[in-house]
Amino acid sequence: MQQGVPGVATAHRPVSKLRGHLPFMAMVAPLLLFVVLTVIVPVGMFLFRAIDNRDLQTNLAQTSESLATWSLADGLPPEPAFAALIGDLAIAQNAGRVGALAARLNQAVPGTRTFILKTARLAAEGAFPAGDVRKSVLAQVEGWDNPALWSVIAHENGRFTAFYLLTSLDLERRADGSIGQVSPQSALFLTILWRTIAISLSVTAICAILALPVAHVIVAAPPRVADILLAMVLLPLWTSLLVRTVAWIILLQGEGPVNSVLIWLGAVTEPLRLVYTRGSLMVTMVQVLLPLMILPILSVLRRIPPTYMRAARSLGAPWWTAWRRVQLPMILPGILTGSGIVFVFALGYYITPTLIGGPGDQMLSSFIVFYTDKTLNWGLAAALSVQLLAVLGLAAGLVSATRWLAAGRVA
Amino acid sequence: MHLSRFLCTIAVVGAASGAYAEGTVTIVGWGGTWNEAYKKGVTDPFSAASGIAVTLDEWDGSLAKVRAMAESGSISYDVVSVEAPQMDIGCDEGLFAKLPESVSALSEHYLPGTMHACGIASDTWATVLVYDGNKLADGPKSWADFWDLKKFPGKRGVLGTALYTLENALMADGVAPADVYTVLRTPEGVDRAFAKLDEIKSNVVWWNSSSTAIQNLDAGEVVMTDMYNGRVTYDNENNGKNYKIVWDAGFFYGTDMWALVANSPNPEAGKAFMEFFAVPENQAGFPKVYGYGTGDTRVFDLLTPEQRDRLPTAPSHIGFGAPYDATFWAENQEALEQRFKTWQSQ
Repeated sequence: MQQGVPGVATAHRPVSKLRGHLPFMAMVAPLLLFVVLTVIVPVGMFLFRAIDNRDLQTNLAQTSESLATWSLADGLPPEPAFAALIGDLAIAQNAGRVGALAARLNQAVPGTRTFILKTARLAAEGAFPAGDVRKSVLAQVEGWDNPALWSVIAHENGRFTAFYLLTSLDLERRADGSIGQVSPQSALFLTILWRTIAISLSVTAICAILALPVAHVIVAAPPRVADILLAMVLLPLWTSLLVRTVAWIILLQGEGPVNSVLIWLGAVTEPLRLVYTRGSLMVTMVQVLLPLMILPILSVLRRIPPTYMRAARSLGAPWWTAWRRVQLPMILPGILTGSGIVFVFALGYYITPTLIGGPGDQMLSSFIVFYTDKTLNWGLAAALSVQLLAVLGLAAGLVSATRWLAAGRVA
Repeated sequence: MHLSRFLCTIAVVGAASGAYAEGTVTIVGWGGTWNEAYKKGVTDPFSAASGIAVTLDEWDGSLAKVRAMAESGSISYDVVSVEAPQMDIGCDEGLFAKLPESVSALSEHYLPGTMHACGIASDTWATVLVYDGNKLADGPKSWADFWDLKKFPGKRGVLGTALYTLENALMADGVAPADVYTVLRTPEGVDRAFAKLDEIKSNVVWWNSSSTAIQNLDAGEVVMTDMYNGRVTYDNENNGKNYKIVWDAGFFYGTDMWALVANSPNPEAGKAFMEFFAVPENQAGFPKVYGYGTGDTRVFDLLTPEQRDRLPTAPSHIGFGAPYDATFWAENQEALEQRFKTWQSQ
């Protein structure tokens, strides 16, 4: 994701200009190759899992074919479908692919994994006599009388699936094949997506508001003081993320210094609940990300001659008008770059929300980690990553568009 | 001719056993004090007995690593300790190898849930009801007390996952530990657990890491909490705390499992480690130095009463507990965590 940031700054450089610069191309070629091989290809392969339906398509080909004319209204499928299922499961069992298959079906219909594995084991042992497969399966294994499971096998038979993308949008394919919203009890992911965007946007805005005066003070200060101020800005960047986060927990907890001071001042009588809240999460994120906003603004601000402001003031503009109409348009590229960086970094946060946020403050990345690490549901992890990437693309587009518009207006 | 074949066989056997004695094996545990205890209690004795050098690595139990290694074909782990539900998933997916028959033959000695087709318990632990004995003279006696906001006013610390929490809610609602999964396997049972959680929702301080939870208890931020028993014992023994574990409130014990990674670089050495660890005298090395148990019941006879008493699987405690149902969670973790997180956000 970090690779996207420089791209934001150079997105609108005309391509034709590059064409005449072969040596330049030769110089960036190794980097380009490196990025393609180490980022784009593996990320692309992972994201492909969001639509990959190989586990169902290859392992249950016979079964889904036998269900071609079946529909939910027919009730449980007839003998040939059961025979095809047992044939498919026996092959999958012997090829060692049944674990992945059962995991995939369990994602679609929770609670089916164990009996699917059991059926496959029995199928490979030849426990279901030919000609009477349907009856003996239903007698020996509990669970195959669930039409929802058969519906998944019948509908999800292509090379690609929309299952993960639908799930990541709180949608589901119903047993009758139509698409609808999941029950409010488990409608989670859109809430998380909006929350992630809202937290990242707020953090970006707060950083921008805090960074502007700091950058102005640093530029206006004598060189020695400016160096010290700059060091203070950079110091958090050199500290481990975990240390900074834990420091905030200690500061903000019930018996922590902040509460002690508030009680001592008589501002409150009971310790305030400061930690494990949205507030504590935002404070920590702003503190960690603030330098990434200050530095780009600073680099732009340093190049603006102080005479511009003085000229505007001497022509009678109040300070605020002079700043807003003369200086702000020139700082804008810095603010945009900083906002892009801060927003992108904030989007991917998960250690900080886990440690210092409450249950209502967890962001999308926490869920990507859960599905990647704990349940091996890489399809859903990829679908959620696609969402993050889409937000990222949207943000990059927005920053470029604003920059382009602003450049047009200044010119 | 015969003689040369004989010599040849000797040479091959010699080479094989030579490689065996000088072999290495990469064993992956949970890091920190856990790894230290394992090194002292088990892997050092193993190296001394077998001549196999052990690299004791650490990880966070992320099955994704093993799958990524298997898919890329460059596997660097031989033996890993993995949580029971992940063991179920990994074993079925073929990421882990089946247990050697010499070990699986010992199943009669193992506690329920501590032997799996692909491994045996590396440690058993429990999530227990805990309060601070210095703050509450007359503490809670049951999970119903944990839920009783009148009798014990104040916040409760609760682990922020459906896993472990739904079980506690049902125990508070009067379900015996042994019946919890029968109830939880029905939709009504899940609703019942969530309804019970509604009762204390506004008085819960959720936790994600045990350090946070124990700090909340210590600071008086919560009056009681659920907690891993090993962490409680550790603080009592090393930090002079007086935390009380209410074993007889009922508890669930979980297992982490030693699993042989399929197609690992040193399968023979990995197998040798499993066989070594399956001997009760060797297995006892870990609970002798750490507050976590193991699977083989014969190990208890090798421990002192103090060492035995801190284990959830000790004869004096196990009657109040039941094992976490790894199969249930492997099937339902995604759906239940999704509902749990939605419920938390509301």
